[in-house]
Amino acid sequence: MNLEEIAFAILALVAVATATLSLLVRELVHTILWVAVFFVDLSAIYFLLYAPFLGVLQLGVYAGAVTVLLLFGIMVTRKRIFAREAATGLGPVPLGLVLTVFIFLVAALGELPQGLVAQRSYAPSDLSAYLFGPGGPWLLLLGLVMLTSVSGAIYLVREGRE
Amino acid sequence: MSGLPFAGFLVLSGALLAVGLFGVLTRRNFILLLIAIEIAMNAAILNFVYFAAFARAPSPGLPGQAIAVVLIGFAATEVAVGLAIVLALNRVKGSINVAEASELKL
Amino acid sequence: MSSLFDLAGTFAPELVLLAGALLVFLLDVLKLRRLELVGSVSVGASLLALALVVADLGFAPFASLRTLSAAQVNPSLSALATPLWTFTSLGLVFQGMFLLATLLVSVASLSRGSKETGGPIFFGLLLLATLGMLLVAISSDLIFLLLAIELSSIATYVLVGYTRRGLRPLEAAMKFYIIGAVSSALSFFGASLLFGAYGTTNLLAIREVAGTVGTPILALLGYAFLLSGLAFKATLVPFHAWAVDVYDGAPSDVSAFLAGGTKKVGIFAVLLVFLGPILFAGAGGSSNPFQGGPFTLGPILQVTLGTLAVVTMTVGNVLALLQKEMKRLLAYSSISQAGYMLLGVTIGTAPAIAGATFQVLAHVLMKGGAFLVVAGVAGLGIGPLVDDWRGLGSRRPLLSVAFALLLLSLAGVPLTIGFVSKFVLFSAAVQAQGFFVWLAVAGLLNSALSVFYYARVLKVIYFEAPPAPLPTGGAVVGGAGPEPLRAGGLGIGRAVAIGVATALVVALGVDPQPLLGPIQAAASHFVFFWR
Repeated sequence: MNLEEIAFAILALVAVATATLSLLVRELVHTILWVAVFFVDLSAIYFLLYAPFLGVLQLGVYAGAVTVLLLFGIMVTRKRIFAREAATGLGPVPLGLVLTVFIFLVAALGELPQGLVAQRSYAPSDLSAYLFGPGGPWLLLLGLVMLTSVSGAIYLVREGRE
Repeated sequence: MSGLPFAGFLVLSGALLAVGLFGVLTRRNFILLLIAIEIAMNAAILNFVYFAAFARAPSPGLPGQAIAVVLIGFAATEVAVGLAIVLALNRVKGSINVAEASELKL
Repeated sequence: MSSLFDLAGTFAPELVLLAGALLVFLLDVLKLRRLELVGSVSVGASLLALALVVADLGFAPFASLRTLSAAQVNPSLSALATPLWTFTSLGLVFQGMFLLATLLVSVASLSRGSKETGGPIFFGLLLLATLGMLLVAISSDLIFLLLAIELSSIATYVLVGYTRRGLRPLEAAMKFYIIGAVSSALSFFGASLLFGAYGTTNLLAIREVAGTVGTPILALLGYAFLLSGLAFKATLVPFHAWAVDVYDGAPSDVSAFLAGGTKKVGIFAVLLVFLGPILFAGAGGSSNPFQGGPFTLGPILQVTLGTLAVVTMTVGNVLALLQKEMKRLLAYSSISQAGYMLLGVTIGTAPAIAGATFQVLAHVLMKGGAFLVVAGVAGLGIGPLVDDWRGLGSRRPLLSVAFALLLLSLAGVPLTIGFVSKFVLFSAAVQAQGFFVWLAVAGLLNSALSVFYYARVLKVIYFEAPPAPLPTGGAVVGGAGPEPLRAGGLGIGRAVAIGVATALVVALGVDPQPLLGPIQAAASHFVFFWR
């Protein structure tokens, strides 16, 4: 095993563990902590994949903005910030369903090329050239989605009569 | 020689998707549902990033990273709308547990 | 500079909607919030966009298509650019139908009862949702398609909860949001696997690449995830449960838009993504994906989609039989109608797609109209149960006749548009031979089943006595007459929208040819394009 493989194995384990923990811990604030670790961990994986720009973006948007947004949501909607999430069981049916999907996925992956594959890296300038060239419509569409969600969100939360 | 296990990455993203779906199916607190959805969304974004890194010669590969940029922005936007709905609901009612959405028959 | 004008000309209907939405937001900021003013902006924008689309279509599907590709916009990129959008005549037909749904809902929302709350921003979000739907109809790239679907979805999440007061709409919005976000995550995951398998997300390029590499296991998984994600949007049966709660909890005008408009986005997306693989006749590879070599997805997809279609219509119809509330009954019938549309997509021949398209048009008019009637009747102070509608026939004769015609059309009675669409669809299925004949039989049996619950509603409306008045303390004046209805609760806008929908249902049922001809031409063009 080379260094990159070991790093990937560790990061992957941490990712799955933190994602699971964030959904299983009883106190919502701890959930946010685990989610933040999960997002930072993913950003490290992006660096490992030669996508430094995406790694930074992940740190800024997810580990930064989304985490704070979620924390804010909890603070506003909970009377006591350390209130516990009502105990909900694991539920055998969902667990079975999800495990089936996962096992099916892994079984199917047996067909894929095994072993190490060479990676390609791209310069951030190429990425931006692509985003403002052929990929431009995606960005435009994202802008429209943002316009819609911002106007809708402002409408939903603002006070006052119409 | 540097390289990474190809199938291993897909196991990771498959596991993340499974965790996300599991959370959606079992959790009842809206914030936890949002987190579960974000985990599933991140599985898709991760896929795009490493398919860009592993793209074979004829395919450009670069679009994968561009799509990942767009999707990161999209997922954050989606969270904002979800929180707005939560806040509006919270104002009308004191609780945000989906299970207590009793007026609708499940 | 000229290319910018070209672009503006190409996307004229979409830009009109965007401008309309921005104007609505501007009026909102300027505190010009009169419902009639803002509503007329919405009506005007959707009417203008509809006129532009119809002019584009020219009722001669090959004549004047908007044919600008990404390469023409910026020639220096042409080497890289496979266009993210492609104007097909069938896409334009769908654009027209989406705009028709928006127009009906906008006109109906012009006049609301005083009890209904919610700001005029309703119309802005309606226009943005429609913009997303129009972009779905022209997309030829998976990411573009999914983002456009999300544009319309996010607008509709807010629309469902736009009254902001009641608990029910907001809870419906919350459920709708969760289901929608999960389905989008599933779709994007599927798209990412397809990207991994083919190295592109462009549907046209995928078709090219699939010609040489066939269907690898990654692509098979990708299609499976994509189908489950899109099935949520199209309310196909294992993924339908949200639809009833959301249609039931949302304000009825919004339900009309959801059932009449956004749900078809899912159907069109399924058509767009899966028609290529269905029609793709590979180099006769093995039928087992696990043995390697080129593999054609067509037969497997057709069996899967066909099964989904039959299950969807059967479950929808059977559950509709059991419903006691009017909106839930209509919601389940809407689910079963999605099954008919999927049937046409499954068969994949030009007549079948024409049938499915005509079914979509019929459904826009029938279900949009029916939900608008429900909205109007709620404004008259009649409760949500089917039994609350007793004797409406004698108390509101015109409204009842309109509703009866819409229901008869939903049941597929001759001389209505519902009959024509089912006739075209089932005869196409029979023509396609083999497995598809059984699909047609299943569809016919289901139509027969659906007659029962529509007939029950008609019986309640016409042959049962109106509910007795509640004893209100003192002497009941005038003996045991029926409880008086709230006067003038229907509103002019709603009356016009219901009238137009009903008139079109009957007119196109008597003579479908003016629209059926162009739709058939567009469908055969579409099949030719994707083969």
